[in-house]
Amino acid sequence: MVVLKELTIRPTTLEDAPFLVQWLQDQEILRWFPMINQREIEDAVRIWMTYQKLEAGLTAIWQGAPCGMAVLYIQPYKKLSHQCVFAIIVDKEYRNKGIGSVLLTQLMKHAKEKFHLEILHLEVYSGNPAIHLYQRLGFKEFGYQSHFIKEKGEYLGKIFMQKYL
Amino acid sequence: MTDLPGYDIRYTLLTDESYLRDWLAEPGMLHWFSLSQEKEVEDAIQCWIGFCRYGCSLTATIDEVPCGIGTLFLMPYQKVAHQCLLKIIVDPKHQKKGIGSSLLKNLKHLARNQFKLELMHIEVFEGNPILHLLKKYDFHEFARQDHYVKENGKYFARILLETKL
Repeated sequence: MVVLKELTIRPTTLEDAPFLVQWLQDQEILRWFPMINQREIEDAVRIWMTYQKLEAGLTAIWQGAPCGMAVLYIQPYKKLSHQCVFAIIVDKEYRNKGIGSVLLTQLMKHAKEKFHLEILHLEVYSGNPAIHLYQRLGFKEFGYQSHFIKEKGEYLGKIFMQKYL
Repeated sequence: MTDLPGYDIRYTLLTDESYLRDWLAEPGMLHWFSLSQEKEVEDAIQCWIGFCRYGCSLTATIDEVPCGIGTLFLMPYQKVAHQCLLKIIVDPKHQKKGIGSSLLKNLKHLARNQFKLELMHIEVFEGNPILHLLKKYDFHEFARQDHYVKENGKYFARILLETKL
């Protein structure tokens, strides 16, 4: 467990799921995810929470309440089990406090120590301010899919990044 | 359509599952897939063949016996529903006869005309001979992830390609 002033990182529990649903309902956050409506959000949260059982999720706590979460989507296949993709989200009200940075740093440590992962990778949409955080923490771009998202007739590209742990 | 005697293409049936299982069991075939263990293969077959319920999978036959399957993995979220992931396999006994080419042509037609898709992407591993065929059919590489596969201590890249429909 990591304590940085008022911030604590602990394993994600099933009780954290409603916070994740609530954060994703914010359109400013949802624009950076592939989901668009409540049904899709609940489906994505259900999948996210299945990894909680593997102890692959971390939750950031600020003044007693969850303010961010990250998850390792542990690969089900042996040949791919040295790497995985991850997702991270921080409550909009808690932005610019360094929570994303602490959470991702802890996630990388968790990936290496608990799951013996060698590589972490991510997918992020063009224009997402989190790209700067990923670059700062050593993630390098390895691909770009220009028309990945189509929303209201507009396309948005997806950037692929990875980091050796 | 290839001019192989007795060649035809039809929608995939759930009963084609046994052929898929046999082809994946051929020596060397699994090298090109994420799979390595019996349970992984079985799970992947169930997932793959399950798409035939949506009419998005085609089976090539010779004298009514399956010799190849190609499937459009439709996307579950609206914002990415304009594209799909393609998976394709040809019976090793019938490779280099134009079956892969015929399946690709028909799958592109199905994706464009039946499902109104705009993009199709595919994921292959480094060295896969299908890369030549994909490039012939206007697939272009948009991502290359080194060290994605780890098999017997050796690493292989995954290559992501897409084509506009």
